[in-house]
Amino acid sequence: MRGSKPAGAPPAPHTNYHRKKRFNARTALTLLAFMAPAAIFVGIFTYYPMISGSQMAFRNWNLNDLSDTSWVGWGNFIALFENPEFGTIVRNTVVWVVGSLVPQVVIGFALALFLKRKFKFRGAYQAFIFFPWAVSGFLIGMLFRWMFNAEFGVVNDLLMKVGIIDTPIPWLAEPGFAMTAIIVANIWYGVTFFAIMILAALQSVSDEMYEAAAIDGAGKIRTFFSITLPAISVTLGLTILLRIIWIFNFPDIIWAMTGGGPADQTHIITTYMIKITQEGDYGQASALGLIVVFTLMLFAAFYLMAVRPRKANR
Amino acid sequence: MKSKITTIAALGVAAVLALSGCGGGGNSNSADGKVTLKMVESLTNPTRTETLKTLLTGFEKANPDIKVDLISPPTDSADQKIQQMLQSGKGVDVVEARDITVGSFGANKWLYDMSADLKGWEGWENLTDNAVNYSKQDGKTYYIPYGFYGLSLFYRTDLVKEAGFSGPPASWSDLLKQSEKLNQPDANKFGYAFRGGTNANSNAVAVIEAYTADQIDKENAFKLSNGKTIFSAPEAQQAMDDYLEIFKKGSPPSSVAWGYPEMVQGFSNGSTAFLLQDPEVIATIKESKSIKADQWSVAPLLTGPTGKAIQPVATAGWGIAEASTAKPEAIKLIKYLSQGEPATQFSKDNSLVPILKAAAKDPFYSEGPWAAYVTMTENPDTYISAVQPRGVAWWTEWIKKSDGELQRVLTGKMTTQELLTSWDSYWTEKMAG
Repeated sequence: MRGSKPAGAPPAPHTNYHRKKRFNARTALTLLAFMAPAAIFVGIFTYYPMISGSQMAFRNWNLNDLSDTSWVGWGNFIALFENPEFGTIVRNTVVWVVGSLVPQVVIGFALALFLKRKFKFRGAYQAFIFFPWAVSGFLIGMLFRWMFNAEFGVVNDLLMKVGIIDTPIPWLAEPGFAMTAIIVANIWYGVTFFAIMILAALQSVSDEMYEAAAIDGAGKIRTFFSITLPAISVTLGLTILLRIIWIFNFPDIIWAMTGGGPADQTHIITTYMIKITQEGDYGQASALGLIVVFTLMLFAAFYLMAVRPRKANR
Repeated sequence: MKSKITTIAALGVAAVLALSGCGGGGNSNSADGKVTLKMVESLTNPTRTETLKTLLTGFEKANPDIKVDLISPPTDSADQKIQQMLQSGKGVDVVEARDITVGSFGANKWLYDMSADLKGWEGWENLTDNAVNYSKQDGKTYYIPYGFYGLSLFYRTDLVKEAGFSGPPASWSDLLKQSEKLNQPDANKFGYAFRGGTNANSNAVAVIEAYTADQIDKENAFKLSNGKTIFSAPEAQQAMDDYLEIFKKGSPPSSVAWGYPEMVQGFSNGSTAFLLQDPEVIATIKESKSIKADQWSVAPLLTGPTGKAIQPVATAGWGIAEASTAKPEAIKLIKYLSQGEPATQFSKDNSLVPILKAAAKDPFYSEGPWAAYVTMTENPDTYISAVQPRGVAWWTEWIKKSDGELQRVLTGKMTTQELLTSWDSYWTEKMAG
């Protein structure tokens, strides 16, 4: 029929409507069919385990004895909150996230500003600086465990040679020192990510804005706070959010360096979850997992509301 | 027409992808009738995996209708992976079960009881008493051990002599004296490679058992003959106090966090003079460039005031998944690995106390560092072999609890008395069921 239409004739007024309707019906099915593999995959491998794991949180699911997996209501949650170590674990988690994040942002920002400048072998410098991000967190933990070893480690050796300390610091044997050591390792690991993300954002800021600021007589500090920072604020905000979630969920370094010790004093929520899982109590581990998910969801919602661009500023 | 084809193609892709998620199973029978066994190991390391592959090639040659696929997960996550495989009932036929995992695997009916299949097996006669006992616990054969781990004291012959001692420490009190004398923190030299990190409980329990050796129930080394736990005995208090002294006066302060790698490194790089470890360390120390062969040796396990020590034997072996559909072939493989040359080669290559009686006559075991193990075997009244309840389902829970609490004692957050009360309550409650 379409081919029989005379050339140059105006289209019938209802043609678009019919095309749109036909398009909707068929495309909807096609879209659904194309989405189905991904949806099925995600459903089976993400949502099913999540839901399955969630129901374990309300049951007596202990691998040491699976003969009684009855429902225990909020029992697993109550047991966690009543655990005398829980307060220390929450405090450690906050110290771990904040103590790792702030230096990572500051050093990462400085590195990004440095790498934005054009100089010889800049590409090679970038590759060297980005290298830690390609290494497994567990391996980094193993390396730092030896570096911080009080007797054979390079850290004490250097500090003693420089004359900062007289006797070796038992880095991984004292809770306070151990917390410092694991945070130092995490800072080293995470700085790279901020450098990468902030550098990418900085490269998207147009040179005209800097030229205009220079013409207006703005100095380096004024340019940084009035041009650079506002221009990359969205990227920076989202990067910080992402990193907070990742650091929160990053037990690798701690597990490899201290295993949560000494005396369970460097456990964060996720390392403690591993500990409980290894003990076989999947019920309590799932309850802890749910606490983590809801805490991070709430945090992400408040954070995004707090950092979203204000209408008045647009 | 074109959009119809697109829709059908999309639905087809969806169906194929969805269906590809289904299916599974452990072994598979190919068209030529060959059975493929899936075998998974737990205590993986490259040398061991190489040995195992060589043995499996030998098995495949002897049994051309059976092929074995070896799965070697990293050691740290292996037991959890094995647990998931057994729970799902797919992907595994022959499994490495450890004395610390066999309890929960058996209780959850994930392992196959081989008792009926191995009834009348000629291989039983060649196994040591220990190997037979561990194979037939509670009347069930969930695994056949491939070797044993047992504690002995590695010591520096030169340092002990220089310090004026006539020989290595024979008891825990000797160890305290010698460690204290050899301890020179300023020179970064220490007496004893103390274990305060992962699995710290094992050596602490060894001390307590040595102090209570006269009263111990050999069938359950955590129990006294009067039915109470070893942690409740007054001798246990003395044992822990002495052990804490060894840490304070003769060990590196940072050994609060020392696990296996730090202990072995500390001894093999010459920083510590004494190390209590399994025989597998012999191979590692032989490779050390910091200490020469004539600078170290191995002495029997330390005794308590009783003059006796309890040898806390640890083991692992090969078992079969309950869900396996190739059990006869799996039995063939386990029999092959548990006798003759394959069994001896596996224990030699992995520095294990052998499961075969004949191995004791081998010069490999009767000379050099292994001689201490022969001494212990020849003096069963001094070095008493008792079974620790490592097969109980809550063993991992116990390890985590006891390691954490021991670190509290070492860091001054708990007293030895509080520790023993806690351990006594735990085991009293668990043993009461």
